[in-house]
Amino acid sequence: MSEHAYAFVGDPATKQIEICLDGESREVLLELAKQFRSLLLEDSDDSLERLYPPAYLDHSELNVEYVSLVHDDLLQEKLASIDIFESTIWLEFVEIEKFFSWMAVLNSIRLVLGTRLDVSEEDEFDFEKSHSPEQTLFVWLAMLLEEAVSASTFYVEDFNKR
Amino acid sequence: MSPSPTEIEDPKVEGENIVKPDSPWIVIVWNDPINLMSYVSFVFQKLFGYSKEKADVLMLEVHNEGRAVVSTGNRERAEFDVFRLHGHGLWATMERSS
Repeated sequence: MSEHAYAFVGDPATKQIEICLDGESREVLLELAKQFRSLLLEDSDDSLERLYPPAYLDHSELNVEYVSLVHDDLLQEKLASIDIFESTIWLEFVEIEKFFSWMAVLNSIRLVLGTRLDVSEEDEFDFEKSHSPEQTLFVWLAMLLEEAVSASTFYVEDFNKR
Repeated sequence: MSPSPTEIEDPKVEGENIVKPDSPWIVIVWNDPINLMSYVSFVFQKLFGYSKEKADVLMLEVHNEGRAVVSTGNRERAEFDVFRLHGHGLWATMERSS
């Protein structure tokens, strides 16, 4: 019998995700979300550029227009995801639609952290190896996101049947 | 608010790259070292309704070839898809199909 303790378990019947994280993990995620919100609102950190990629590679003028149109929308989406994430962090079960906000927050923080760590394809992170606190956090968030995807699979399976 | 397409000039001839006026736009997702492969495949299924098989093929194309065309359409549609992909943290761009 597997001793792996899953962080998230999807329930297709209720369309909910069971959150199996302990209190300490939830506290850490809550603090990360709080810091991420501050970073977003300051909107000056270079690592945030990864969250707002260009849409046009060969049309700088069009890209300026695109950014001016969508930057605030993308920012508001991320802030709304953080709000939902924070308001559901202590729940035992989270509706799948709200759980997508969890995934958005986890992935966005990973993107910022990975950018700061200058992660490349050659980097291999393993829980068994010794890493810096930031690298350990990066690996932990990857594990959580991997499990979040796995727990949410029923949604896209159901979605594809529509 | 959904992003609205901005005005674009008529296609120009640059070197040998002749772009037809009615050519559709393609949406490209680029490989990046941070996004998880499973997450990228999940996003393709969630946003485009692709089967897991098709989403995995596209994800592996991104991973192995560095990029993959994930959708096509008129400019408004392509810009909307790029916006949604950016909202999910993927590195996406759009260009005219040659």
